[in-house]
Amino acid sequence: MKVLIIEDEQELAKGIVEYLSEENYLCEVAATFAEAMGKIELFNYDCILLDITLPDGNGLQILETLKQENKQDGVIIISAKDSLDDKIRGLQIGADDYLTKPFHLSELTARIYSLIRRRQFDNSNKVRQDELEIDLLAKSVAVNGTAIALTKKEFGLLIYFIGNKNRVLSKSNLAEHLSGDFADMLDNHDFVYAHVKNLKKKLTDAGCGPYLKTVYGTGYKWEG
Amino acid sequence: MKNLLQKSLRQLTRFASVLFALSIPSYFLVVDWIWLKELDENNQLIAQRIEYEFNKHPMTDEKLTENIRFWNQIQPVSKIIPLSRPMIKDSLYSVRRLNPYTGDERDRFRVLKTSININNRYYALVVETNVEETEETVGYITAVTLLFFFLLVAGFWILNRRLSVKLWQPFRNTLQQVKDFQLNKQTPITFDETDTTEFAELNTALDRLVRHSIAAYKSQKEFTENASHELQTPLAILKNKLDILLQTDDLTERQYRIAEEMNKALVRSARINRNLLLLAKIENKQFEGATLLHVDTLLHQSMETLYEHFNEKQLIVCHEIQAEVEVNGDSGLTEVMINNLLINAIRYTPPAGKIHIRLSTTKLVVTNSGTQTLDPDRLYKRFSKAATTNNGSGLGLSLVQEICKFQGWTVAYRFENNEHLFSITF
Repeated sequence: MKVLIIEDEQELAKGIVEYLSEENYLCEVAATFAEAMGKIELFNYDCILLDITLPDGNGLQILETLKQENKQDGVIIISAKDSLDDKIRGLQIGADDYLTKPFHLSELTARIYSLIRRRQFDNSNKVRQDELEIDLLAKSVAVNGTAIALTKKEFGLLIYFIGNKNRVLSKSNLAEHLSGDFADMLDNHDFVYAHVKNLKKKLTDAGCGPYLKTVYGTGYKWEG
Repeated sequence: MKNLLQKSLRQLTRFASVLFALSIPSYFLVVDWIWLKELDENNQLIAQRIEYEFNKHPMTDEKLTENIRFWNQIQPVSKIIPLSRPMIKDSLYSVRRLNPYTGDERDRFRVLKTSININNRYYALVVETNVEETEETVGYITAVTLLFFFLLVAGFWILNRRLSVKLWQPFRNTLQQVKDFQLNKQTPITFDETDTTEFAELNTALDRLVRHSIAAYKSQKEFTENASHELQTPLAILKNKLDILLQTDDLTERQYRIAEEMNKALVRSARINRNLLLLAKIENKQFEGATLLHVDTLLHQSMETLYEHFNEKQLIVCHEIQAEVEVNGDSGLTEVMINNLLINAIRYTPPAGKIHIRLSTTKLVVTNSGTQTLDPDRLYKRFSKAATTNNGSGLGLSLVQEICKFQGWTVAYRFENNEHLFSITF
């Protein structure tokens, strides 16, 4: 899978490349508007991470070019501008997702994971791990062919775990994923534990293997 | 408050009244002095004429004595009295006595007592002339002075009104322009031309001030925005590096905990940063998307998101939410406002406490149990926090206030019956 990272901040791009490479993504970096335009003209990518503010141009223009040329690359905007206008405009032009800096690499990985699988039309928007089957489009989960009912948050958590297989996900990271903006405003992150416990119980009760492990006391890791 | 012209008119009126009051005795003294001087001269002339006329007709001493008696009978105002030798000095004086011709009225008389010589015999001549009474003179002068005083004040008043309209027009124009000036619109004022030196100077000074303010405002606005914006990237790098650190195989549990604490601090900095940016944007009025929004829907959404946090703290939540509450506002900002109010309530309510949420067509009221009243002066101040133990951004209520201000709503705080009460009036 090929990912293009359009980001002028070197350290940020480096971190993303390092993290994504372990997931077997083939990463390329474009640090300027011109470089990015050159790359999208020549190649196709499964996913493009697009920073809107580039030193020599506006990232939204790259997005417009992609759409004009009818390219099928999935686009996730990563922006330091937390402005609703930019977000709405980006999504209107045709971006698939929008992530505001600073973000967790695990959040980004999960988004890329979902994006790529949602866009595949050969029935592979279903994810399987042994007895567990997840339908990303229908948002349903089945163990050994029997559907189990998960809440919206539990389903989100499961996808987050699956999208970050074999990664350590800390409690605060999960808290941010679950409550978005509010995470730091709530002094207590125990709600994470409650959600994970419920998810674990539902999976185990249905006969799913113990893939979800507790690490370092409060962190979690999905093994697979 | 009185306007400038009224004030100057008052001073002028005071000064004029003192001056006119002083003028009354002065006029009186002058008039009286002239009166007496003229009468003395007149009496002198009468005395000379009497002496001359008596000497002009030669007569015997007997005849003269008889004539003088007769004269004294018909002319009691100029009495001739025989003297043995001439007086050393004439005397001049005023008397008050009954006027025999006008009844019981007491009149003032000016008297000249002098010696005359008729047929080489000495006589004293007493000439009396009626003078106007002192109080009558004072009365007339006062009446005339008062008349002129009122004419003067009326004149001042009319002139002032005319001047105030004409002379002060440039000032009024400038004032109106300064009143209409809005810093965030960033358009300097173009003052009208004026040929009055003071107003021209005022306009120049104001123009400089306005331009300076605009420049300072602009640079401050840019600074807040740029600073917050620039901080996002290093924060993002830090966060990503921490994520990578967490994936290290030989990480100890202690190191994991440190990384976890660092992440929490990072999340907090990111929020402070984002809130500052949001405050700057609200102040710069960069939100123009006011639409008709359903507050009840937003409130339900927010409560649903926070539901688990209510439960977590075992808070008892009561709500009376009216359906179809429509107000005009920016939906993003209104959402931030509602979230901040609710999260504040969650954070500051002791476990198992109560939260009451009420929404009507005009008001949103959030009540939560508490122990003591909050300082209303510091409540909405940036970075002033009620408790030191929690890790709030210290910007939550400032944001609520700014959002309310921006959308033309009012926020009020009360503490009663051991409950904090925040109410937003749309």
